[in-house]
Amino acid sequence: MLEAQSLSVAFGAQTILREVSFSVAEREFVCLVGPSGCGKTTLLRALAGLAPISSGRAVFKEQEVRGPQTELAVVFQDYGRALLPWRTVAGNVALALEARGIPRSEQSARIAPLLEKMHLTQHADKFPSQLSGGMQQRLQIARCLAQEPQVLLMDEPFGSLDAITRQELQDEVARLAKEERRTVVFVTHDLEEAIYLGDRVIALAANPGRIAEIVDIELARPRNQLATREDPRFLQYRHRLYKHLGH
Amino acid sequence: MAALPMKRAGWFLISLLCFAAMLVAWKLAADAKLINPLWFPGPDRSFSKLWEWISSGSLWSPLAQTVWRMFAGWLLACGVGITLGAAIASSAFARRLLQPSAEFLRPLPASAILPPAILVLGFSDAMIVFVVAFGCVWPVLLGAIHGFGNLDQRLGEVSRLLNLSSWQRAWKFQLPNALPDVFAGMRVSISIALIVTVASEMLSSQPGIGYLMLVAARAFRSADIFAGIIVLGVLGFLTNYVTQKLEDRLLRWR
Amino acid sequence: MGAVLPVVVLALWEMLSRAEVLSEDGFSRPSRFVVAGAKALADGTLLEQTAQTFAAATEALLIAAVAGIAIGAILGLFKPLERAAQLTIDALRPIPSVALIPLSLLLFGFSRNMSAAVAAFACFWPILLVTISAVRGVDGRLIEVGRLLGFSFARIIVKFALPAALPGILVGIRVSAGIAIVVTVTTEIVTNPRGLGFAMTMAAQSLQADLVWATLMWVGVIGWLVNWSLERLERRWLRYR
Repeated sequence: MLEAQSLSVAFGAQTILREVSFSVAEREFVCLVGPSGCGKTTLLRALAGLAPISSGRAVFKEQEVRGPQTELAVVFQDYGRALLPWRTVAGNVALALEARGIPRSEQSARIAPLLEKMHLTQHADKFPSQLSGGMQQRLQIARCLAQEPQVLLMDEPFGSLDAITRQELQDEVARLAKEERRTVVFVTHDLEEAIYLGDRVIALAANPGRIAEIVDIELARPRNQLATREDPRFLQYRHRLYKHLGH
Repeated sequence: MAALPMKRAGWFLISLLCFAAMLVAWKLAADAKLINPLWFPGPDRSFSKLWEWISSGSLWSPLAQTVWRMFAGWLLACGVGITLGAAIASSAFARRLLQPSAEFLRPLPASAILPPAILVLGFSDAMIVFVVAFGCVWPVLLGAIHGFGNLDQRLGEVSRLLNLSSWQRAWKFQLPNALPDVFAGMRVSISIALIVTVASEMLSSQPGIGYLMLVAARAFRSADIFAGIIVLGVLGFLTNYVTQKLEDRLLRWR
Repeated sequence: MGAVLPVVVLALWEMLSRAEVLSEDGFSRPSRFVVAGAKALADGTLLEQTAQTFAAATEALLIAAVAGIAIGAILGLFKPLERAAQLTIDALRPIPSVALIPLSLLLFGFSRNMSAAVAAFACFWPILLVTISAVRGVDGRLIEVGRLLGFSFARIIVKFALPAALPGILVGIRVSAGIAIVVTVTTEIVTNPRGLGFAMTMAAQSLQADLVWATLMWVGVIGWLVNWSLERLERRWLRYR
């Protein structure tokens, strides 16, 4: 569904990514991990059409990605900056519907289930500044879901959140991906998070960014914060991938 | 405020008492004839003169003149400032061309335009409205240029990801984003509007509160002067209060 | 690049004036008013008037600064006092400075003190408010350090509170300096005691359009210069931030 074909990104003399190639199948949950500065965010942005590609290409449904499109929704890490502060929770979700040209009369019918899915129903009339970090991130995800995208590209979405909220949202995203049958590309620096969430983990090395290893995760779903993380195979994957994080 | 309503009411009363104490001090100073009462009346004479103006109806016409000129000039400046600012913000070239001139003109006292304006437009309402507008336009213009030109990079990306048309982008993203800066400019310029209107009236002897007070000064009618000060103080307070409340309401998402 | 617009405007002005589209009586033209300005500079009148305006503005700023910082520091340090004064401040602050011109005329006649008094009123409020918030904003930790080191209360104010509050206060003074010039010129235009405003009004009354525009340009340059130099001064003094 989504592919990177010998993707390279360079800024001037500096090569951020060098000939990265991999493909993501429909409904797959792929996690990208790597040490800081390995270019994983740049890779995600290149797939989304937000970063200029120096050579190679990103391909979505057999068409080259030349710019941003609604089918490839992006969930940013800095959720505060990605939400419209002057619109309410419902208004922010409505934005995606307006962009798709859905008439006002139909909008509330679509917004309500999304808010419920993300546990935001009772906050529908609040402004982002009145929400906690976790709720704001949920709102961003709700807005992205309202786009009805084919692929969800998530850039370290839980990096700024506390541990408890992070775990809650991990489970929610995993559940959503399965329920809505969406394809997800998830960038994180947290190895355990990657293994916990992914069907496949792609480890990137730094300087320049390139694929170090790709590992299929064969852990049962639905995953559980306690049981899965204690599963011996979880630990094996962890051992295997640990070295790629620059340790 | 974290204080309980009771505590707030308590403090309000205390500050009211403090204000009353000032009025008493004023009265005592006037009575003691520290300054010639011809120039310095007590609060009783000032307030009773004000009351006389209100009850005889002689306040309303000059007040209306001052207020309409102030608002006409201010609204004109806001209209011009916002549209021009939005247009300038959309082009880096236009910004580099025009922003330095706007920044240069900002510290210019608006009243300095009065003598040339009088030469060109004569003594008229139009002249005053023009001068007021000239003084008010710079804060609004600069606010608009800043507000329209500074959309967060992330929000810009979101608008591209959502495939919005440029009209949708302007209406849903740039305009609401610009409002805080535009309102700040509008708020600053309404204070300027009041000052420039009164100054213009004083200089050009056009009927209005300003002229009223200047005439009173020449005739040594100090109570009238103080009554006028009270009127203008209330006018200033009301305009600030209303604009602030409006701004709070429209920008309550902050 | 920013100079393009002024040059174009001046060129157009000159052309339109010569073509008699713009009436010469009202609008004058750049070639004329530059000459008039140069003459006024050369014979010293423009400089003398500038000095008069500056004298009044400086007097105003000094009065406002001393009163504003003193009262602001006290109100900033003792919150109950500030709360008690709140209504008085809110009642007096919205009075437009020009409203005081007639009163000042009565009290001081046509003099430098008259303009200075009006401008001082206008400058007092920004300095007061900024001082209150700057003093209030001094980190409590800093004061604690002062007390632990055994300094007396007065010493703490001087060595800790005021320097910490200084950046904020300086910003207030910079803003007020601009206000001082503006209000002084405004007062001069309305009442003509002396100074640049007086110069402009006199020129207008004698229908000397050239001198009016020349003085206006000069006022603009002065205003910009004052603003610019104050900003640079502020940046230099507060380099440690």
